[in-house]
Amino acid sequence: MKLTDKLRTGPFFLDGGMGTLLQARGLRPGEAPETWNLTHPEDITAIHLSYYEAGSDMVLANTFGVHPLRYDPETCSDMVRAAFACAREARRLAGERERFIALDIGPCGQLLKPFGTLDFEDAVSAFAQIVRYGVREGADCVFIETMNDSYETKAALLAVKENSSLPVLVSNAYGEDGKLLTGTDPEAMVAMLEGMGADAVGINCSYGPDIMAPIVKRYLETASVPVLMKPNAGLPQQKEGRTVYSVGPQDFADTVTALIPEGLRILGGCCGTTPDYIRALRSGAEGQVPPTLEEKHDTVVSSRSHSVHLGDVPVMIGERINPTGKKRFRRALAEGDIGYVLSEGISQEERGAQILDVNVGAPGIDEAEMLTKVVQELQTVTDLPLQLDSADPRALDSALRIYNGKAMINSVNGTRASMDAVFPLVRKYGGVLVALTLDENGIPETPEGRLEIAERILREAERQGISRKDIVFDPLTMTVSADPKAARITLDALKMIRERTRCATVLGVSNVSFGLPSREIIGSVFLAEALKTGLSAAIMNPKSDAMLGAFFSHLALHGMDVNCEGYIRYASLRTYAGSDASAPILSTVPAESGKGLRYAVEKGLLQEASRAAKEALASGEDGLELIQNEIIPALDEVGKGFEKKTLFLPQLMMSAEAADAAFTEIKAAMQNRTESGRRCSLVIATVKGDIHDIGKNIVRLLLENYGFDVLDLGKDVAPERILEAVEQLHAPICALSALMTTTVPAMEETITLVHEKAPWCKVMVGGAVLTQEYADRIGADGYARDAMAAVRLAEKLCP
Amino acid sequence: MNDPSLHTLILPELPFDKREILRYAQIPKNAPVPESLPLDICLGEVSGKIRCRAVWARFPLSASGSELDLGFSFVSSRNLAHRLEGCCDIVLFACTAGYEMDRMIGRASLRSPVNGLLMHAIGAERVEGACDELCRILGGLFPEYRLTERFSPGYGDLPLELQRDVLRALDSEKTVGITLTDSLLMQPAKSVTAIIGLKEKKHEVDG
Repeated sequence: MKLTDKLRTGPFFLDGGMGTLLQARGLRPGEAPETWNLTHPEDITAIHLSYYEAGSDMVLANTFGVHPLRYDPETCSDMVRAAFACAREARRLAGERERFIALDIGPCGQLLKPFGTLDFEDAVSAFAQIVRYGVREGADCVFIETMNDSYETKAALLAVKENSSLPVLVSNAYGEDGKLLTGTDPEAMVAMLEGMGADAVGINCSYGPDIMAPIVKRYLETASVPVLMKPNAGLPQQKEGRTVYSVGPQDFADTVTALIPEGLRILGGCCGTTPDYIRALRSGAEGQVPPTLEEKHDTVVSSRSHSVHLGDVPVMIGERINPTGKKRFRRALAEGDIGYVLSEGISQEERGAQILDVNVGAPGIDEAEMLTKVVQELQTVTDLPLQLDSADPRALDSALRIYNGKAMINSVNGTRASMDAVFPLVRKYGGVLVALTLDENGIPETPEGRLEIAERILREAERQGISRKDIVFDPLTMTVSADPKAARITLDALKMIRERTRCATVLGVSNVSFGLPSREIIGSVFLAEALKTGLSAAIMNPKSDAMLGAFFSHLALHGMDVNCEGYIRYASLRTYAGSDASAPILSTVPAESGKGLRYAVEKGLLQEASRAAKEALASGEDGLELIQNEIIPALDEVGKGFEKKTLFLPQLMMSAEAADAAFTEIKAAMQNRTESGRRCSLVIATVKGDIHDIGKNIVRLLLENYGFDVLDLGKDVAPERILEAVEQLHAPICALSALMTTTVPAMEETITLVHEKAPWCKVMVGGAVLTQEYADRIGADGYARDAMAAVRLAEKLCP
Repeated sequence: MNDPSLHTLILPELPFDKREILRYAQIPKNAPVPESLPLDICLGEVSGKIRCRAVWARFPLSASGSELDLGFSFVSSRNLAHRLEGCCDIVLFACTAGYEMDRMIGRASLRSPVNGLLMHAIGAERVEGACDELCRILGGLFPEYRLTERFSPGYGDLPLELQRDVLRALDSEKTVGITLTDSLLMQPAKSVTAIIGLKEKKHEVDG
């Protein structure tokens, strides 16, 4: 019987703790267990043998701590070789029935970016090295365990998949809150791991079996592959200088084996467990057979933190991260202004989007690079699962690779070329695939024609090993102004596909209204109809009040919104923003009108400032005069208050934000005029090694207010990158921020480089640790104590 | 493998101390609070989402002037030596508001700088409040000792470089998820490490 078959049948018995037994044999605290493969092979062999004799079907070779980030390659190689020699010797001595040896892979001991410093690809290559050694030694499978970061787990699993064809079991270590240290819940973990082709999933370490049981149950409810459980023997305690664990073999086995009838099929122990625990598991499981493994049919996407189901309750996919038809967005992409793209994501989330579509395809943009970067950055600020939207398989490949979770992929279609390019990506990285019902002959004009393509795509997907639950059909929204029957056909196709294939469905609804006035109205009615027809997910504009209204009303009217909470939340957003749902949600204070622009800016009333500017412009006032007579005096007043310490930083910033909102209105009104307000360009950045950007952001905001054309390079920026920007813009001023004494050398290095290569540029500096004296010492042209001082200084340095 | 000398805990969510948050946002104690300050929006976002995690361990202390053997590292610091005078042991701890707090700060900063400022302030209040709570808990665990105020790497003449040893001794990556950049910044950003001295109460009475 093959190992994977044994796992699927169960119960299958793993081994127990290694460290505990090694300590009993003299391993000192702090001494690495893997070193004993080389120094005490007979002890390692004896421990493996004792587990085989206690009833383990498989032991984990003593390779948990072997990692290229800790040892040089040769040592790693030797340790793995020695580990397998011990395990094989134990297997030989145990004789009789079939037994297995797993390559054991533990965490590398460093956190991955963005939270830590280790690059994802570096982690993958480090794990890959260990995998190749394991393959060389003839491992029967790979066991990835004790992972408390979903991203590192993905790196390890990817390394296994790319460097072997061995079965792979993946086990994570959860906290008592039921989450990994990086915040991932079990359902999200299962979605990602199954998508990537793990042969078994489960949990180990952390706690005793009682605390872990509820987490295992969540695995059993969601996983289609076998589930494993390998708890600690309770919690460690110090007794007379020795470590003892709180749960004995019998209690341990009782709790674990009680889960076999619920579907648990792979059992073992972690810290503190011994062969006695395995023996107890064996006898406790005597005569018990887990129920047959059942495929779960839920269509699930996931993020770093959680999963989203596509099925009966409609899901909102935000469509706004897309440059098509958006000048401002295209400019942001061209300038590498990721912040703008990210804020588009956040604002959609705030309005109820559950998944974000991400499309960054535009002329002159390296889509693979940009999509990857945007996905990476988005995942640091939003927990929503993403829908990677690109026609370029190369872009999808590189973004799927670094995506933390199981992504939605937009899209494949019925053409041979598309299926051949996209299906392999889903097989490798997992994902839920949006399938468009079109093929070489275009888009069929009948519902039956679209259904036929859907069925063809489904057959081909299943033939290539992709489960039907991972396909979502898009029957294609066509423009109703171009063809009066267009919407009807789409809705009929939607119904047919949903009924016949049982797959989830998705529609980009906005397209229906193209070319018509008051697009929102017809669009929202179409959305309501589509939802009623059984649409699983709508790709829509969460910033449209009418669309949101239709969406949340549908949920409330069809019993899918408990206590109408979603609807009420939506309604309260409307109150904040007035009827203008596209306004940013920045303040709970409703806009009050009538007191004028200057007052609004002074008081930091953002919506009021925006409205006052709009009204003044509408009544014929000149934009530049508004700036001169209202905004600048207000800002100066606040600035003086700040300098006199009668007003404080938040007020200064709120006024700046209000002024910013007014500027936006004025700029829009003056679009056709030359940009006479531009004074001078300025490059700003937090220096390399420093990740603090709050101070820099404040300074940028104020500088923009005062008419500087600011290019913000962000935080942790290398000197070379800063120089490049200064040279590109021929910027007369460069502003640098550093918060830590440890990063001031990087600041000095940047100043030297800029002065040498771009002598026209004055460098001003600021940040918590700096003083005038310190600034002079590192060669800065100026020092600013706070944001207002930075404005005054920049005005002075401006040629 | 779990090290039994390291104690980890997830601290309860404490009520928000608004005045303290405003102080971190640079609004002094008696200054009026602008009514349009979006503090309640920020608090609403954080509420129920942030649970600080902590890890602590006890080490024997021996001192000779300003030369200190902290049990996990040697260090020379007059300020710390002064703080730890008369102590027999130390408790070393790390406490963090976690990645979620970082993400909230990132999100708020995208919305607007003032939101970012407030979220930074909330993060600082969360982790500092959690440290206070942890110290109360430790006080209860060591009733026979008086606990000194906490002292962190980077304070006074205690070198920031000690952070490396501190985090290693607490196995911080695994226990609470704190890592250190090459420039000695802790990630997540709202993290605190500190040393507390344990002083036997009877000595105080005697001396």
